[in-house]
Amino acid sequence: MPYVTLMIVIPLAAALLLLAVPEDRVDVAKALAVLGALATVVVGAVMVADFDRSEGGLQFVDRQNWADQVGLEWIVGVDGISLWLLMLTAGLFLVAIASLVWKTPNRPIAFLALLLLGEAGLMGVFAAGNLVLFYVFWEAMLIPFYFLIGMWGGQRRAIATTKFVIYTMLGSLLMLVAIVATAFSAQDVTGQFTFEIAELKGIDFGGTTSTLLFLGFAVAFVIKLPLWPFHGWLPDAYVAAPIVVTGLLAAVMSKAGAYGFLRIGLPLFPEGADKLALAIGILSVIGIVYGSLLAWRAHTMRLLVGYSSLAHLGFILLGIVAFDVQAGQGAVLQMVNHGIVVVAAFTIVGVIMRGTGGDEVIDDVGGLAARAPRLTWVFLVVAMASLAIPGSNSFVGEFFILTGVFRQHIVLAVLATIGIVYAAVYMLRLYQTSTALREKGVDARRAELRTVDYVTLAPVLIVMFLIALWPMSLMGATEASVEEAIAPAQIAAERPADQIAVEVEPNPPPEAVPLPGDEADTLPEDGATP
Amino acid sequence: MLSVLPWIVLALPLVACIVLMLWPTEPDRRITRVIAVGSVAAAFALVIAIFVDLLGRDAEERTEVTTLWEWAAVGDLEINLALQVDQLSTFMMLIITGVGSLIIFYSMEYMEEDRDYRRYFAEMTFFVFSMLLLVLAANYLFLIVGWAFVGLASYLLIGYYYDRPSAVAASKKAFVVNVIGDVGMVLAAFLLIRDLGTLEYTEVFATAEGGLGDGSTSAEAVGFLLFVGAAAKSAQIPLHTWLPDAMEGPTPVSALIHAATMVTAGVYMVARSNALYELAPYAAGTIAVVGAITLFMAATIATVQDDIKRVLAWSTVSQIGYMMVAAGLGLYGAAMFHMMTHAFFKACLFLSAGIVIHAMLGEQSLDRMGNLRGRLRAAFVGMLVGALAISGIPPFSGFFSKDEILAYALAQGTLGVIVGIVGILGAGLTAFYMFRLVFRAFYGPDPDGGYNPEPHVTTWVMAAPVLILAFLATFAGWIQVPQGWKLVDDWLDPVVGTPDLKPSLGLEAATSLVSVALCVVAIGVAWWLFGHGSERRLAHAKTLARYREVLHQGYYFDWAFEKFLIEPGRQVGAFLRDFMEPAAIQGSIRSTVVATLETARGLSFLQAGLVRLYVFTMIAGLAIVGVIFILVGT
Repeated sequence: MPYVTLMIVIPLAAALLLLAVPEDRVDVAKALAVLGALATVVVGAVMVADFDRSEGGLQFVDRQNWADQVGLEWIVGVDGISLWLLMLTAGLFLVAIASLVWKTPNRPIAFLALLLLGEAGLMGVFAAGNLVLFYVFWEAMLIPFYFLIGMWGGQRRAIATTKFVIYTMLGSLLMLVAIVATAFSAQDVTGQFTFEIAELKGIDFGGTTSTLLFLGFAVAFVIKLPLWPFHGWLPDAYVAAPIVVTGLLAAVMSKAGAYGFLRIGLPLFPEGADKLALAIGILSVIGIVYGSLLAWRAHTMRLLVGYSSLAHLGFILLGIVAFDVQAGQGAVLQMVNHGIVVVAAFTIVGVIMRGTGGDEVIDDVGGLAARAPRLTWVFLVVAMASLAIPGSNSFVGEFFILTGVFRQHIVLAVLATIGIVYAAVYMLRLYQTSTALREKGVDARRAELRTVDYVTLAPVLIVMFLIALWPMSLMGATEASVEEAIAPAQIAAERPADQIAVEVEPNPPPEAVPLPGDEADTLPEDGATP
Repeated sequence: MLSVLPWIVLALPLVACIVLMLWPTEPDRRITRVIAVGSVAAAFALVIAIFVDLLGRDAEERTEVTTLWEWAAVGDLEINLALQVDQLSTFMMLIITGVGSLIIFYSMEYMEEDRDYRRYFAEMTFFVFSMLLLVLAANYLFLIVGWAFVGLASYLLIGYYYDRPSAVAASKKAFVVNVIGDVGMVLAAFLLIRDLGTLEYTEVFATAEGGLGDGSTSAEAVGFLLFVGAAAKSAQIPLHTWLPDAMEGPTPVSALIHAATMVTAGVYMVARSNALYELAPYAAGTIAVVGAITLFMAATIATVQDDIKRVLAWSTVSQIGYMMVAAGLGLYGAAMFHMMTHAFFKACLFLSAGIVIHAMLGEQSLDRMGNLRGRLRAAFVGMLVGALAISGIPPFSGFFSKDEILAYALAQGTLGVIVGIVGILGAGLTAFYMFRLVFRAFYGPDPDGGYNPEPHVTTWVMAAPVLILAFLATFAGWIQVPQGWKLVDDWLDPVVGTPDLKPSLGLEAATSLVSVALCVVAIGVAWWLFGHGSERRLAHAKTLARYREVLHQGYYFDWAFEKFLIEPGRQVGAFLRDFMEPAAIQGSIRSTVVATLETARGLSFLQAGLVRLYVFTMIAGLAIVGVIFILVGT
């Protein structure tokens, strides 16, 4: 079944259909949008049920001709890593769109259509099986978000969008260069010209080329993530965007960066990844501490959650560049965890802002516990999940990440635990200031949870509890793919054999017949030119 | 049967908590009471059934691990959601559910005036669940989970009166210090995974000697890191400062969480990890030394406290120091025995104090008390019995448990002798500060200005638990008698072992004589100073003002943390926020963006807006690629 193609096409089709809905039929538009998002989730659920958990490579691969002559094909598929990211995207967009049914924005049809376009773009990034397709979706997802912030955003949205778009675009351009360079460099080695990721694995580019190519991709990934110190766009964009969009930016878009490392960076350029792994790891740890300190001292609720995101994403990237099965597994799980927890956190910030009439300065809010007890309870659960208290879903991810990092780079793991302590400090600051003491600056009755909030929070909380109680439900599916993704880098880093679970086939295979024209390449430099 | 019962024991308080929380409105108080008290009492009954079942088995067949499901399996590491019933966990469960039932029963009346009746009981049952998970866990991961959950319950209950700024601050402090402890535990777990590849108790203890090595750096590191967790949870110096502040919670909470059960979890964990500490002599020695320092410093601080609950809080810190001394020296049986008697007499003391506070409508200052012995009979009996027990006056329970620690310590070589002597001095201080409390609150004249209103007598709901605990505090010591029978040691022996070096009859007798004599003298001094009103006390307080100030400041630990740890962190955070972020990060991105825009304007004829710019850059990028390949290709 072409599940994956469907998961890209359904939101795209829904978005296009929305444009045909007349301005005054908002109810039809809402129904259509919810239906589209729901259908995507249903297809995803069937896909999860059908997924072979022992298989590491791409499954449900859908291959269509596109531009054969230049090595371009429509190839989408899903493995253990992208499986949950596709589900996360589908689930969170459904939740976000459903919440808009109650909380209608201005020009709702355009808003919904752009959200669905963004969903299609993200799906494409997570599903793409070839580099050009990856690049196209990577850029495509930016456009709807650009309009969403630029047209529905709050103060300083112009500056925010400029920074956001141009900065991330600079990274993308480097990636484009790297993609083309990869294809040509690979052709020099294998004799084949292709953009297909699976075909590019195992190629020995040589140290310098591998490093340069890795770097080209990595810049795009770390800006999108963002990694410290490439996070300059984050505060403005998070603050300026409508809070639904902020939640999605933090929850899903950031994962595209982390995913890029696992799908492209590590498997294709293991030598380059190995050379830069420690540097990225150090930046991640700096990001963890830096983000935590800024979250502690942040003035507004949104900035606090935003900077805490910076710290959490540092953990994820640290897990990826550790080249360790447990750390990698933890990182993949943490991508899902961070996505759902940060959406819950931003939802709660949104609910509190409803009570304050838009004021989001932390010290202006207080005393919710007395008048809004349900909100306070849910807030407590989310705060605990966010600071990764043992027993929460986020703890599982952080625990496995640090288990692996501890094995490989003990100092980085120990330094990263500073972030665990500060997470408690800043999350409790947010939780206690807003809930404890006397009522202040907030109309608690307006802030108490309503149906619309349950629509967002209930599914998210259920998934949080499920992961906390039974992480194997997710991790069982990711193991084979994570092993496969990190094995080349593990070999490049000369890790002990017992840590490497998968053998990497050399590319081209040693017994391959030399292709016509290959001989010319092997001639000595000073050989006679034909 | 043993595979099902512990799960039911664990589920009862959890279900009670969930039912109370999800009840759509504030339930009728009778319903709340039945659910809360009933669930914990039922759990106690089932624990007794488990205990009886274990008694019927051979000593070597009392360990039963049951797995509910495979929680996570990553690489070679497998972690199960599993419970382990054995002598040690059953011992702990008896204390938790037994004392827990009494205290929750007592709370029914103590919290009568409170608006948030349901929230209180929901949080209390959540605590009981978490504490049971902590002791029942069959591996370090779920130990850590239980560890963190009791911390969360403690946080919620310390901050129960959320409209008091002091309670809010105290709860946050408790939580953060506990997270520091969690980090220690988690790092220890990483080490175990790295070197042993497992966290299951049975496998860790079986492979530790081969995998870590006797006396190796790894073994010592695991020992130290676990103790960081234990010190944070059990309020050992320097991670002790949160416990006195934790007295902001309701008094039954202090009795259950901050005296009888949670704060002794560190001792339980060290006893549970005895196989690891055997490989780590320095880490174990450190525990004994830290315990000794803690027991002495906390006892001195307790002598100047004027808040009835703070006296008891510092006393708890000090008493856990005794348990840590024992655990550090490998005297696990003695440590657990003292934990048990301490649970009885300290809960008794706190609940008696609770009667006083309840009767005086929340008044906690000893300055506002005096001559209460006729007015609050049950509280007086409980307080007096508790004070005699904690001071180690025979035949009360504390005599047996404390003297066992001291006598055995003196038989354990040089380190043992040093910490043993500190312990004997501490025993004298204990008698002094406890009877200072008893005399100031229950003897002497009425306080200045008299009582207004007159303290009201509480009903049997609060008196009965106090009297039951007073009974236990009196007689529980008899289950372990020097040179006689050792029921606790024998019961725990297969799990924790028994010490090789035993004190002689002469040493035990001498230790008891010296410590009891010291206590009697201390009680006499306390009577002379505090037995007859405030005159002598105030006169001496003036001459000793300088020393009292040091003690009032708790040896300046809080001050030092604030000055050297928290404030610098705040400064760095503010610096990053106000300078680093705007100048470096935002500055660099601004110049990048501006440079891009300027270049684009300069080069482009499509200079009308961002989207066009975007298209332009894409094309420009492709052009660059083309150029590169032309250059590379030639």
